[in-house]
This record gives sequence, C-alpha cells and structure tokens, in this order.
Amino acid sequence: MTLITSWIGNTPEFAVPFALAALGLIITEKSGVLALGAEGLMLVGAVAGIGAYLTFGQTAVALVMAMLAAGVVSLLFALMVLVMRINQVISGLVLVFFCQGLTTLTGTLMGWTNQPVPGLPAIALWPLSELPYVGRFFVQNLVVYLVPVIFLIAVWALNRTTPGLRLRAVGENPQAADAAGIPVLGYRLAAIVIGSALIGLAGAFISVLSTKLWISNMTAGRGWIAVALVIFARWSPWKALAGALLFGCIEALIPQLAASGIKLSQYFVFMAPYAITLGVMIWVAAAKRENRSQPGALGTPFIREERT
Amino acid sequence: MKKMIFSACLALAGFFGLISTVNAEGLTLEGPPKIAMLYISPTNDGGWTQAFDEARQRLEKDLGIKIQYVESVPESASAIRPAVERFIKRGANIIIGTAFGYSDTFKALSEEYPNVAFLNGSGTTNGPNLLSFYGRTYESQYLCGMAAAAASKTGKLGFVAANPFGQVNWTINAYAMGAHEINPDATVTVVYTGAWNDPTKERSATKALIDQGADVIGQHVDTPTPQLVAQENGVYGTGHHRDFREFAPKATVCSSVWVWDRFLKTELEKIIAGNWVPNPNGALLSMQEGGTDIACCGPNISEEEEAKIMAARDKLLKGELQIYAGPLYDQDGNLRAAEGEVIPDPELWQMDWFVDGVITQQ
Repeated sequence: MTLITSWIGNTPEFAVPFALAALGLIITEKSGVLALGAEGLMLVGAVAGIGAYLTFGQTAVALVMAMLAAGVVSLLFALMVLVMRINQVISGLVLVFFCQGLTTLTGTLMGWTNQPVPGLPAIALWPLSELPYVGRFFVQNLVVYLVPVIFLIAVWALNRTTPGLRLRAVGENPQAADAAGIPVLGYRLAAIVIGSALIGLAGAFISVLSTKLWISNMTAGRGWIAVALVIFARWSPWKALAGALLFGCIEALIPQLAASGIKLSQYFVFMAPYAITLGVMIWVAAAKRENRSQPGALGTPFIREERT
Repeated sequence: MKKMIFSACLALAGFFGLISTVNAEGLTLEGPPKIAMLYISPTNDGGWTQAFDEARQRLEKDLGIKIQYVESVPESASAIRPAVERFIKRGANIIIGTAFGYSDTFKALSEEYPNVAFLNGSGTTNGPNLLSFYGRTYESQYLCGMAAAAASKTGKLGFVAANPFGQVNWTINAYAMGAHEINPDATVTVVYTGAWNDPTKERSATKALIDQGADVIGQHVDTPTPQLVAQENGVYGTGHHRDFREFAPKATVCSSVWVWDRFLKTELEKIIAGNWVPNPNGALLSMQEGGTDIACCGPNISEEEEAKIMAARDKLLKGELQIYAGPLYDQDGNLRAAEGEVIPDPELWQMDWFVDGVITQQ
C-alpha cells in the first residue's frame, strides 16, 4: 500500500524532465535538425537555474533564466549546424562535452555546489488528491501541472498554426519549403532555440524543483534517455509524454522496491532503465511501421539551390 | 568513483608489496620539505575534497610549512602527470594525491622520481616511496549507527548507500551493529543508488525510506541530499565526509568525518625526519591512527546516550574496541569471525554479507 502510493506519488518528479526534454528535442528535430545535445543543455539549465535562484532568490526567475541560458548556448549549436554545416551528430556530441565543462566550471567558480534551495510548494488538487493509491499523484508543484498544458500548446502550434506547419515543411523537404518562400534557416534557428529552452527547463526542474541543489554533471545521462525517448515516440509529442511517464515509473519504482525490502538483484535493478531503453529501441525498429514519422530531412544540412 | 575499486585491489597491492624488495635504507629527502597536494574535485565540493583541504589548512599550522595545492585534477594520467611534474620542478619533494584513479600514475611517477615521497588517499598502489591510505569508515559509522538508534523512535533506520561493495557494506554492517548497542531491535533498510554523486536518486531513495517508516537516515554517498530530505520531512539523519549540520542543522544527529591531518601529520613528520619506509601494504587507518572521527551529537539525543557514544568513541580512539571481532555471524547464520578473532583486512574489502537487522536487496 505505502509502496504503491509512494511510487505513484514520486513518478511525476522523474517523468517531467524526460517529458520536457523530449518535447524540446521533438520541436528541434521536426525542423530537420538532429539534436543530440539534450544532456548538455539540461546541465546548462540546471546550473543556470540554481545560479539564478541563489542570485535573485525567485524560483520563477530561476526557471526563466534556465530557459534563456539553454537558448543562448544553443545558438552555438545553431552556428555549427546551420551556418557552418558541420555534421549534426558530431556537433551534438561536442555540445554535450562543451556544456559538461562549462557548467562544472561556472558552478564551481561561483560556489554553487551543494547549496540547498527551497523549490516550489506542492499543491494538492482536491478532490483528486484524496483518492486512494493515486492520491499523491495529484500533490505536485505547479510546473508538473503545467507540463500537459505545455504539450497541448506545442501540439496545437505544430499541427494547427501556419508557423508550425511551415516548421514541419522545413523538416520534411527544405528545398520545397524554400521554393515556397519559407526561410529555412530562420525556422531551423527558431526550432533549435525554442526546443533548447524547453530542454533547459527540464534541467532546471531537476536542480531547482526536484533535487533542490546542484552538483556537477547531475543530470547523469537523463538527457540521453530523452534522446532515445524521441525515437521511441516516433516524434509524436503525446507518445513521448507516455514514454516519459513509463520511464518515470521505472525510476521511481527502483528505490521503492529496495526500501520495502523486496529481494531483487541490485545490479539487475540498476540496469533496468537502460535495458528497457534498449528493448524499446529494438521493438520500435522491429515494428517498422510506415516510416513517415521521422522528419524527412532529419540530419541533412540545407544548402540553397543544391539538389539532394 | 574514486574509492570504488579500491576494495578489490588492496589485497593485490599487498601481495605485490611483499614481493618487491623493500629498501631498508628508506627515503631521505634532499633539501627542506616542500609539500604539494592534488585534489580530485574543487575545494568547495562540500565533502571529500573539502575535508582534505581543511586537513591541509590544519597541517600548515601544525607543521609550520606552506602546502601548495591544485584543484579538480581528473583521474587521467594526462592530467595528473603535468601537475605533479610542475610541482616537482618547482622543488616539491612530497606529493599528496586524493583519488583512487591516481594510483597507477602515482606508481609510475614514484619510480621516475625516487627521491620524492608520494602519498595517495584512497589509492591502491604502494612502493618504496609511495604510500596509499584510507580510513576504516566502519568505526566512525558504527558510532553514527549508535546515534541513529538513539535518535529514532521507531527503531527503523534507513541507509542510502552508493554501490554494494566491501567498503560500503562494512559501513552498513557497522551501522547496524552500532544501532544494536542502543536498541537491539533496530533494523537498517538499505537503498543503493548505484552512484556516488546522483542527488536525484539519493532524494528518491531517502523519500522512499521515509515513506516506509524510517525515521533516521544514514548515508554513504557524497552529497548531503539525504540530510536535506530528512530535514524537509522532519526526521533525522547521519552524515558522511564532513559535519553535515552545515546543511541540515535540525536533522543531522551525527556525521562520520575525515580527519586526514591526524594521520598525515605523523606520517609527514616521519618523512621529514628521514629514512622513511612506507608500509608496503598501504595504510588502512583506524580511528586511533587518524583518518576518521565523528561530529556528534545533534538534536534528539539524550545526555545519557551521548555519553555512551562518546565512551565507545574513546575506546576506538585508544584502539580498545574492534568492530569486526568475533563471535560474529551473518544473517544466514554463517560464522564470519570466531571468538577472539578479528576479520582480516582482505576479507573486509570483500564483504558481501550482512548482519542481522540489515534489510537489503540482492
């Protein structure tokens, strides 16, 4: 009973960073830019959020600053892949290593390591919060409740607005979009910055709202899981949200099992999230539904007037 | 990470130490002593390295020697070597490292610079001018276990640990044995996070333990997260590395702390005196020799219980108390140490069993 209540109650805290980061990646990749830098941008968001809180003392300011910081750092990535047309896989990996160094350096020099912050108070959604078993799922901080709203807006913008449709056109067939007068690089730049801001928010959620402190490299591979999640969800935001919940469930379950003394091999438990990621990837590859879900021009740099 | 594989390697290190010919002459420094330290992480990391830096400051006062240092030297030869060689070029003749991952590079450097003394905290390699050292954390954590049981109302203790190997398991068993000194019915439920530095996992582990009824949370991980969560939830905790009352003054009742200067002062004096012959098996330090101690006692511990804890601490400081002395059985009833025996170090490093009252997976 305690196990289930507490497990379900802790799931959103794990799921939200995956969900936000995956959504950010989807927005970027819908424009045809392969983004592997989520791990690095989450670190930027994490350190910027804590730094802003310790400087200004406002959680809202901290979250906004985290989004801004990740957006600004992503300009570097945009410069590499859009202007210089460097290989997008390499650029993404380099961005991660760069951010790992940058955030460790900044956070350490500023003395932000292990400085506790208060986070946001949990809000109970009455009467849902009184339900048996699942009640604690509805006692979360404000940002958790905002996640479905952010997803709704993103899906609506991608599918129902002109800029959203153009962004997807740029990702499917940049030559055609260009011929139709759509500024390809402009849309890709916007997609990178907006997506990165969301990934930055995911990082800040981990440091400012969930862990409530910062240490170097604290995202510990969660950005990579988000990358896998996007492939698993086949670039569909709602599937990504479901996948994030699934991963959140698994991560939240691990300590619960140990704390309630259930005998299971420790090493198996540590391996579980990665094994499941791997399994899901294989399943997706094997399922091979019509391959229209991946943006057509994903990973290809756009060179005007050149046939591909 | 840095302390991770230390366990497996110590037995090997000891083995090779015995074969290599010990220089009977010992090492005598040329010129006045000049000491330099290499830290694995920044001095303000709140834990491991900060404890070393605090020891350095006390050593400077006690020895009257300025000690240089460099921060954030990663565990790779390409980073360690230039840092050490720069110090040696500037005249340093005593080099102190602070990481498991420095072991091999320190071994190579100690052979290239036979006139320089090398020391390495949590290292695994030793030689005629190289000594690795680590603390018997189970002694200080035994005392923390006593404090935890004293602070607990329910007798249900939780423990957030990094990885299930010897040097973590020995703190867990000692924690439980210490707790049983105060409350024979106390249980210790362990959650391993699989990482030394993952505050997200530490937070959820601590929360899970509190949800399951634990009201004191011990820890053998690097960040103060378990103490912060304990404080948020109005329960107690015991810290590791340094006095975690700094982070959670209302929750932390006791902390296992590093006091490297107590060991390094005597060892450095020996080196400076000349004819230094380091222990070929490395130095695994008891509380008596320096290394670990406790910062005790925080809130919710009565004077009577505090006196008990301090009495046990005195015994450990005098070397009169052996934690892993027989008769000692594991929870499956196997005899692990017979009456009058103490478990030898190589077996301690391989500890994969638990005493009664420890609830764990695997």
